[in-house]
Amino acid sequence: MKLVDSIKKDFNTVTWVLIPVAIAINVVMGEIVVLLKLPIYLDSIGTVLVAAVCGPWAGALTGALSNTIWGLLIDPNALPWWPVALFIGFVAGWCAKFGLFKNWWKVVITGFLVALTAAIASTPIAVYIYGGITASGSSFITAYLLQTGQGLIPAVFSTNFLVEPVDKISTSLLAFAIIQGLSTRFLARFPRPENVEIEQGATRNQLFYAIGIVVVLVLIAAFILTRILTQ
Amino acid sequence: MRERLSFYVKRESFLHNLNPLTKLVLALGLTLIGFLSPWYWTPLAIIFFIIAPLSFVGKVQRDFLNAAFRLILPATGFLFIMQALFQPVGKTELFSIWFLHVTRESLAYAFENATRIFAMVSSFTIFLLTTHPSELMSDLTHRGLPSQFAYVIISTIQIIPQMQAKAQTIIAAQRSRGLDTESSLFKRAGALVPLVSPLVFGSLVEVEERAIAIEARGFTSRHTKTSLREIPDSSFDKALRWILLLLVVAIIAVKIWLS
Amino acid sequence: MAIVNLKGVTYKYPLTETPALSNINLKINEGEFVAVIGPNGAGKSTLCYTLAGFVPHFFKGDLQGSVEVAGVETKTSTLSDWVLNVGLAFQNPFNQISGAKYTVYEEIAFGLENLGIPRGEMKERVDQALTLTGIRDLADRSPYSLSGGQQQRVALTSILVMQPKVLVLDEPTSQMDPIGTREVFGVIRSLAERGMTVIMAEHKVEWVAQFADRVIALYEGKLMMDGRPGDVLTSERLVGKGYGISRYTSAAREASRRGLWPRNRELPVTLDEAVMGFGGFPLPRGEGQGVRGKGRK
Repeated sequence: MKLVDSIKKDFNTVTWVLIPVAIAINVVMGEIVVLLKLPIYLDSIGTVLVAAVCGPWAGALTGALSNTIWGLLIDPNALPWWPVALFIGFVAGWCAKFGLFKNWWKVVITGFLVALTAAIASTPIAVYIYGGITASGSSFITAYLLQTGQGLIPAVFSTNFLVEPVDKISTSLLAFAIIQGLSTRFLARFPRPENVEIEQGATRNQLFYAIGIVVVLVLIAAFILTRILTQ
Repeated sequence: MRERLSFYVKRESFLHNLNPLTKLVLALGLTLIGFLSPWYWTPLAIIFFIIAPLSFVGKVQRDFLNAAFRLILPATGFLFIMQALFQPVGKTELFSIWFLHVTRESLAYAFENATRIFAMVSSFTIFLLTTHPSELMSDLTHRGLPSQFAYVIISTIQIIPQMQAKAQTIIAAQRSRGLDTESSLFKRAGALVPLVSPLVFGSLVEVEERAIAIEARGFTSRHTKTSLREIPDSSFDKALRWILLLLVVAIIAVKIWLS
Repeated sequence: MAIVNLKGVTYKYPLTETPALSNINLKINEGEFVAVIGPNGAGKSTLCYTLAGFVPHFFKGDLQGSVEVAGVETKTSTLSDWVLNVGLAFQNPFNQISGAKYTVYEEIAFGLENLGIPRGEMKERVDQALTLTGIRDLADRSPYSLSGGQQQRVALTSILVMQPKVLVLDEPTSQMDPIGTREVFGVIRSLAERGMTVIMAEHKVEWVAQFADRVIALYEGKLMMDGRPGDVLTSERLVGKGYGISRYTSAAREASRRGLWPRNRELPVTLDEAVMGFGGFPLPRGEGQGVRGKGRK
């Protein structure tokens, strides 16, 4: 019963109204980014937003529905990736639940964990549905790695791992910026306003922390990648 | 930009009158058969001998062809080229560009993959062309899907075009103030904030009032919900769904038996 | 006879110190049309939300005293049951569209679907409601394709179809152009004529004077005046506090200072009353103008 209660807690009427808006934010963000020709997707800002203020289950539902509706009605290539979006929402929600959505440098960690999840979750889909080469530009990297003699799964995972962190950390930071722009009174309507209570502290210190974290994460990422590629 | 995000074309046809769930099962079933079949020609057969005739049965052949050529073909064509170039399988090299080798095998692989995706997308297109979203959601709610899902899906379909229209307006306004989508990466990234914040905050502040509005209409009522629409479900529909299920099982059996 | 009964109602929103409503005592009889006026921040919307059960069920916060409608207290009820007692329509017509429906007809049926009304009865009630508010010709349109005034009439119909005992309207025309305002007040007039219990927050006092049996003036969360529209809307006490005051009232007040308005004659609120007064004509049947008094006991 504990699981059912945890799921139920995520969904009040405001959640149900927020989810369609969040999905629309995902879609429109994705389109604006293409228009501005930015080398990033930002198409899960809405999902992360829901995950942070409503919880992991609501985030997972938003992600899954987002890609399904997007895939069926706008771009068929989005459809197979719905499990990835689902996990993005789910993990972002858990990060927020564990207090990783309360200041800038913690949000960077959330972004990194979400990126890791996305990289892991997209690998089997890319491999089994597309044989590793998808309709995305990043497949150029995969192709290159494959030609250099890498195995299929390491090549796909490394590609995802190269692409995802920048995108998902930016996504999480933007979602955090949006939440900061909303009033406490408004946030109190959502099921989990305590997830996003901003921690007080010197902004400059936080910036240094954030930079520090990014450097450490990049080092970890480089280490993991070299391990995968030199196997 | 389309006013409504829906493929639905209102016609009076056999396909339109089928139960929405039957059509959904049909689309899912054809997709699965296309992906699971051990024979490379199956997706092609599905496209030419099932989906194309169905588009005539549903009197949506023109809309289907339109979608197939303008939406599905470019997407799958791009995938075909990517895979033909980048797939490292096979040894029978046909030609090579830079470090990329196009082989007979990679071509075959790309072809099979692209036709599968084509079959999948086109079977869902037929489904969407002949099924009104409200009908589908009413039927699924009637079968036990929580009514909040119906709300979320229909609401999303209606909100996306509204947001796209707002985005267009904002982009036009920012352009007239000198936003340049061709300038440097740094400038373009900087342009993101003025473009996006009115859109995002504008739509978020509405959330509270809209929640109040649907609460005032009994959204959280514990009564068993009823439906204005009556969605017929004939014995033919039921039979068809069983046949499709059996076909999927059969194709899985064949795949296991052949491997 | 009182269908609405507020006793010592004091309410604070979460995270706030000053009460949005303080010590409100109010009894409203069945069939009364009560207008609530007040400057911005006087507590008009909060009062509406309190009557409709959103305070405390949706907004949480601290509610003291008791709010009773038809003998039931809000605190002991749930929001979803409360919709049968009190129906609420508010300012922004666009935000009142559920988004879950494609046509006006379906939109109006949405509430009845949620309440589990059988299909046959549902169609009957939707048809009746469409006739009542005169929007039958919009039935097959998309709610999003309508003008503000049309959308607000759809919102009103969607609430009326649920047959609440009391109707609460929070500035239903504040975002309308003059045409929309006239359309919406047309519907409200017909409700007043049918003897529905209505509580309407509104600052367009010239319209209020035409419908209301009684006017309540709120100021900083407190009930400042409660009485006949003619008395409250023309009161000196409203001047300079940010209340909406009819330009006819202001003109006549100035005129009476200069001795140009008939002595012992009530100040006018509507154009008609002003014309009659300046022209020195007697009021037809003593007092009533508009729909006041019609269709009631």
